[in-house]
Amino acid sequence: MAKKSKRRSFIKYGLAAGAVALTSGPGCVEKKDEEEEGEKVRMLTTDGKLVEIDRHKVREVAHKHVPPEEAREGIPGKKWVMVIDLSRCRNARKCVTRCQEMHYLAPEDEWIKVFLMQDSADTAPYWFPKPCFHCNQPPCVKVCPVGATYKRTDGIVLVDNERCIGCKFCMTACPYSSRVFHWKEPEGKEEAAHNDYSPETSVPALVGTVGKCDFCPDMARMGKLPVCVTGCPNGAILFGDKNEDIVSNGSETFRFSELIYERAGYHFMAELGTEPNVYYLPPVDRMFDYELGFKTLSEEQQKFYRNSIVKKH
Amino acid sequence: MMELDQKSTRALKFFAPQMVTISKSGIFRLILLLIFIVGGIYALLVQIIEGHVVTGMRDNVVWGIYIVNFIFFIGISYAGALISGILHLLRVKWRTPIIRIAEIITVISTFIGPIYILLCMGRLDRLHHLAVFGRIQSPIIWDVLAISTYLIGSIIFLYLASIRDMAALRDYPFESKWRNGVYKFFAVNYRGTSRQNRYLDRALDTMSAIIIPLAVLVHSVLAWIFGMTLRPGWHSTIFAPYFVVAAVFSGTGVLIIALWIFRRFYNLKSYITKIHFNYLGIILMILGALYGYFTFSEYLTSWYGSETWDMEVLYKLFDTSEYWWWFFFAAFIGVLLPIIVILIPKFRNINSITAVSVIAVAALWVKRYLIIIPTLETPLLPLQDMRSEYIRYSPTLVEWLLTFSGVATFFLFFFLFSKLVPIVPVVKADDSVNYSQLRKTVMKRIIKRKIKEEKLKEAKKIEHL
Amino acid sequence: MKKFILHRLFAVMLTLVLPLSLLSQTTKKDASSLQLGYHKKYDNTQLIRAVISVQKDRRYSPLANVVLKFYSLSDTSITLLDKIKTNDEGVAILIIQDHHDITPDSLGMMNFEVEFEGNKTAEKATETLQVKPASLVLSFLQKDTTKYIETFVTTPGMGNIPVPVESAYIMYYIQGTFELYNFGEGETDENGKSIFEFPIDMPGDTAGVLTVVAKVEEHDDHGTLEANGVINWGKPVPLVVEKKRGLGDTDAPLWMVYTLIILLSVVWFHYLYVIYLIFKIKTD
Repeated sequence: MAKKSKRRSFIKYGLAAGAVALTSGPGCVEKKDEEEEGEKVRMLTTDGKLVEIDRHKVREVAHKHVPPEEAREGIPGKKWVMVIDLSRCRNARKCVTRCQEMHYLAPEDEWIKVFLMQDSADTAPYWFPKPCFHCNQPPCVKVCPVGATYKRTDGIVLVDNERCIGCKFCMTACPYSSRVFHWKEPEGKEEAAHNDYSPETSVPALVGTVGKCDFCPDMARMGKLPVCVTGCPNGAILFGDKNEDIVSNGSETFRFSELIYERAGYHFMAELGTEPNVYYLPPVDRMFDYELGFKTLSEEQQKFYRNSIVKKH
Repeated sequence: MMELDQKSTRALKFFAPQMVTISKSGIFRLILLLIFIVGGIYALLVQIIEGHVVTGMRDNVVWGIYIVNFIFFIGISYAGALISGILHLLRVKWRTPIIRIAEIITVISTFIGPIYILLCMGRLDRLHHLAVFGRIQSPIIWDVLAISTYLIGSIIFLYLASIRDMAALRDYPFESKWRNGVYKFFAVNYRGTSRQNRYLDRALDTMSAIIIPLAVLVHSVLAWIFGMTLRPGWHSTIFAPYFVVAAVFSGTGVLIIALWIFRRFYNLKSYITKIHFNYLGIILMILGALYGYFTFSEYLTSWYGSETWDMEVLYKLFDTSEYWWWFFFAAFIGVLLPIIVILIPKFRNINSITAVSVIAVAALWVKRYLIIIPTLETPLLPLQDMRSEYIRYSPTLVEWLLTFSGVATFFLFFFLFSKLVPIVPVVKADDSVNYSQLRKTVMKRIIKRKIKEEKLKEAKKIEHL
Repeated sequence: MKKFILHRLFAVMLTLVLPLSLLSQTTKKDASSLQLGYHKKYDNTQLIRAVISVQKDRRYSPLANVVLKFYSLSDTSITLLDKIKTNDEGVAILIIQDHHDITPDSLGMMNFEVEFEGNKTAEKATETLQVKPASLVLSFLQKDTTKYIETFVTTPGMGNIPVPVESAYIMYYIQGTFELYNFGEGETDENGKSIFEFPIDMPGDTAGVLTVVAKVEEHDDHGTLEANGVINWGKPVPLVVEKKRGLGDTDAPLWMVYTLIILLSVVWFHYLYVIYLIFKIKTD
């Protein structure tokens, strides 16, 4: 595996000293430097080239509207993958909230969810962040009667809410409960209204249609990592291009294949044959005790979560 | 003018006046139905304005009693398609008084069923997307194609079987002349000539032959909507035949109930007799046994294999704090009671057969609920949601109003149909001729061929010589 | 021994009293601190990056939206280069441009000072940075089949003659879509050079082209230096022609299309036949 950079040792040290310091200390600033430094910003163009452009032009390009028809094609040459390191998750829930801010979601609508898992009564519980798996054999895409949800060449499964008829068949077909339905007028409607709709941003949402995690392709076009990745204070979520074989959480960067090989990465419920593009690293040598994850929850929630992992039968 | 035999004339004189009058209690019942329908329209408006949030459906249980009703109505449509189709093809003599009712049930329920799918759709305004962007890999598209084909087929079937009556009614002196005009149009110049009869019988045979496989296909496709997903309790290979059997079972039940109602309220005691109830009862019993067998097989295999997720659903069905009593009613009472009551001759009478039919039909509605809801309440990932309505589904008033309004619409349409065509066929087609004729023509052909062969042989012999 | 105990006691008292006095101070203003860094990018853009943070309740938090003054110091004068506002992360970056008059001192060093004048909540802070200009050059070498990356670090000496920089740590990266992937590191020898064998299995684009970045990171004298180069040493990754995704595809499998067409046409043929029969009845 890659030699650990200084930054990494800093983070480890910071974690040992107490995770709180990370969220507000200079370490956090340090983490951001690549994207803040200089006049120029790296961007991925629509035809998949990485270019450097002036910072003040970012806005125009960033807000370049990718209309639904164009959004059906993926970013050429890319194959996005996500790796989630379960040994680093302490249910900080920053991925959830950052995603909700990004997509103007109501607080109860979660496109990435953090589950408390326990595989059986004697095995260890662990926190399990779960976005959409963007499967290579997506059951949701199979069943959609109008092709409103589709698989792109870069591996992303998107929903075109201008085409969706709201039959919810995809929701029953998805074995991972990744999809949410807009049962009423979306809450952030006014704030999101200034955005031209694109399946790549999933904003603004539309009542009576289905929404889900979109792997933030609009961010990727800007050369930026998805917000759940950069939002995680522990770097538990890594994202990258499988063709490039590089995944990153913003502060550490690894060879994807090495990471999966050395840390025994796996697919969640691989037996379903869906071939997810999200890989998990097992929760071994954990950075945090799973009990720490309850700190972010209210007493009522804690009770609920604890009960939910104890099987009734 | 069409010549009618004595029996048909008598029947016409009995039914035609009924079609233009309505009794006081009839008006009362009509108003009652309209109240329910208005309630449904109100509920629909609420749902359109507020969004689907007014229903009990949420992200886990995304399909509720709308889908239950959909399967239920498509199920009872089997009454006409299979029962009258098969009885027609087999030339069962006693079928005549009941096939009209059966066919009307088919048409109405095939019409009402899909409305529930529309109610379940988040964006009704995009219905045309199905035509514009339709993907034929999706079981929903199969369903749309199958059900629309089925609906058209059952309308044609009902119409064909009514042509003779239309012709009779065309010649009946109604007070309001528009009726005669309408019947004249639909009677397509039918006068009962032997050629017309031949065409009509051929058309009826064709339709009943094609409607049977079509009906089987429709309910299979419906089952596949569930069977194709990776869900415990749904992902089952026997789902299609299971649904088909359940559908015929419920269709027969509804047919018995409808016969009982018409017999009572339309004074059809001389037409619909104990024989019909007995025969249909026996069919119901056999189907009940078949359905019970499928149910047993389905749950036995999933219990014996005891995969985690299958067990989760099973536990819910057998848990007294969850669905046990409903499951007990749907899978035990609703199956065993009809079988026992009909099997023992002492218990077998018009009222008891109807009573167990009501139980069977109700049990099947509940069974569909138990197929849809507990499975959706058992996702593969843990249900860690603080919102109780996201964990447990319970239908809201809006959904109930629309459900009852659907049932009311069913009866309203039945009422309207009974005012347009006689509820029992007036002009009876003579089947017996067909059989003897068929035998005669076949015999003739065989003899002809034999003669030909003999002649050829002789010719060869001569040549040889 | 006694003396030691007394010392300890004194120390304990001091630790008790000191925070109290600090507390009384912090109620007025927070102590602020500046961190400076020099960065020379591969296109020779030079940046001074300043981070300002305040210490509050033993936690550092960035100071956003405050003005930092960047000065250039020489043997004789102090020049104000620019005033820059910090962003949300407390970062202000000065891009050194031609019109900025930066004259190295007699030792060839560039001297900078960044000043924060203080505001209602935070104290004044200043920090200086001394940088000796240097350059990093990246080149590719191939001996037989083995591929090497060579870096060369120099600093201008007397009469602007380049002098090699010894013992500078070099980090080697591959430019990823989002971040740099570190694949190795090295140290310059007495000639200012470092050689690193290029890994054989790095994937490139369809032609195997990739961007290699070398960096001297936060060198005590020279700050951060950066160089990059584009080379086709990567494993070519073919543009995979999408394998058919079966039912997930836009087009249905042919057998399904045929089955559907056959089934529907069989049924509809019968319907049409029946309609034809009805027509025959009508015309009879």
